[in-house]
Amino acid sequence: MMGRAVANEFAKMRRLRVTPVVFVMVAGVLAVSCVEFTASGFVESMGDPAGKPWQRLLASMSFSVLMLSPILLAVLASRQVDIEHQGNGWLLSRTSGLAPGYLCRVKFVAAGAVVVAATVAQSGLVFAGGALVGITVVFPAGQWLGYTALLVVVNLVLFALHLLLSARVENQLLGMGVGVLGVFFAVISTGLPQWLSHFLPPWGYYELIKPVEYREDGSLVSLAPSYVSVLALGAAGGVLFLLVTRQFDRREV
Amino acid sequence: MGSVRAEFLKLKRSLSWAVVVLLPLMAVTTGVVNTVVSDQQLGNGWHTLWLRVVVFYGLFPLALGVAALASLVWRVEHRGGNWNALMGRPVSSAQVVIAKLAVLAALAAAMQTVLLAGLVVAGKLVFALPGIPPARYLLVSVVIVLACLPVAALQSGLSMLMRSFAAPVAVALLGAVGGVLLVVTRVEGVAMVVPYGLLGRATQLGTGMFVDSGAVTTGVVAALVAAALGLTAAVVAGTATVLDRLDIR
Repeated sequence: MMGRAVANEFAKMRRLRVTPVVFVMVAGVLAVSCVEFTASGFVESMGDPAGKPWQRLLASMSFSVLMLSPILLAVLASRQVDIEHQGNGWLLSRTSGLAPGYLCRVKFVAAGAVVVAATVAQSGLVFAGGALVGITVVFPAGQWLGYTALLVVVNLVLFALHLLLSARVENQLLGMGVGVLGVFFAVISTGLPQWLSHFLPPWGYYELIKPVEYREDGSLVSLAPSYVSVLALGAAGGVLFLLVTRQFDRREV
Repeated sequence: MGSVRAEFLKLKRSLSWAVVVLLPLMAVTTGVVNTVVSDQQLGNGWHTLWLRVVVFYGLFPLALGVAALASLVWRVEHRGGNWNALMGRPVSSAQVVIAKLAVLAALAAAMQTVLLAGLVVAGKLVFALPGIPPARYLLVSVVIVLACLPVAALQSGLSMLMRSFAAPVAVALLGAVGGVLLVVTRVEGVAMVVPYGLLGRATQLGTGMFVDSGAVTTGVVAALVAAALGLTAAVVAGTATVLDRLDIR
């Protein structure tokens, strides 16, 4: 049942312009990250381990993700759910045996796979960009892959939140508004101490997964990402998503 | 005038106030919180506070706020039989498009007013700054509102064509990213003829950031205003022509 429903969601996505939205998500992060190539001293640092060219690129990518992902995930979630509001799809699905909460879970599985693919693509393309411009310093694979894995978790939790918001409130302004406010929360968290960023979930977690940071003297230092915090966020987000969608299942359509 | 009044009536229960109030206040809050937490001083008083609030606000969120409002004013037309009612009204397409833009202009002006008010309150209550912000920020605010017009007109056109609420906002984000790249890479000539670039450029006016010299000169203001009005006229004319050719559903 779940497999066919997921396949159906992918069929719906063909006409939902998901590809352009994902393209904007990937291309936007890639473009803003690559601005670092034009920053002073970058070209000179490409062959110098002390210049930390990969870490500079990672810092640029984590900043661009923080600015763009909250809005694009809101757009993606809204696109998935708005058609059900507009075409009375909740009722159609209910009469076909798919309760609203179950449909939300199906949408999460289908579109979540797209989010994961887009996140991995962003990370891979930024790496490819760095390699193409000629960075010869050893690639910090562990740091890069660790950041990508944590980013996948945070993006999925945020996507689940927006899916629920868009499904619960028909006016999509709410989801979009929360998406834009999310950018502010993410930016605010960049100035907060780590323990305070925990209180702005899930947007504050973009700051917690940051693998590198510029200090006041301009030096770039590597950080230990909060793996435990992000895993706790993922677990709590998963449980809450299941609980809320169970409630949707009991709701009259 | 009747069309404009009708558009304002449609907004009554639309939650547009949430964008108008919350977005600028969040921009002020972000600037204030980051300043307080990092224990930085406002070395240049009101100017430093303006920099910390408006520079970031102008690069991304303002264009997205205008896009969300544009989606909102067209959303009602895409529901039920409202599109056919719109097409059947005894008013020209140009009047419909201009009325929508007038509403968006009023909302953009309201957003800028809230931003200024929030800035003054934060400056007084949180940082105890002396006096009030210099008058030039009022002029810059007027320029920012005018620079919102081409973005509002373009987003209005996109929201007219797309039934989805979110899709035009995604386009705005792509435009804002392009605008940021134009401003950051100092390609001012192109930025002035692209709506999102123009908005990004206008919000940097007087800040000394990126392409801006830091001075609010008559020449720069005149160029920004002329570009804003010219782009708006072109986009409105294009949108009205497209609407003229659209059919009932």
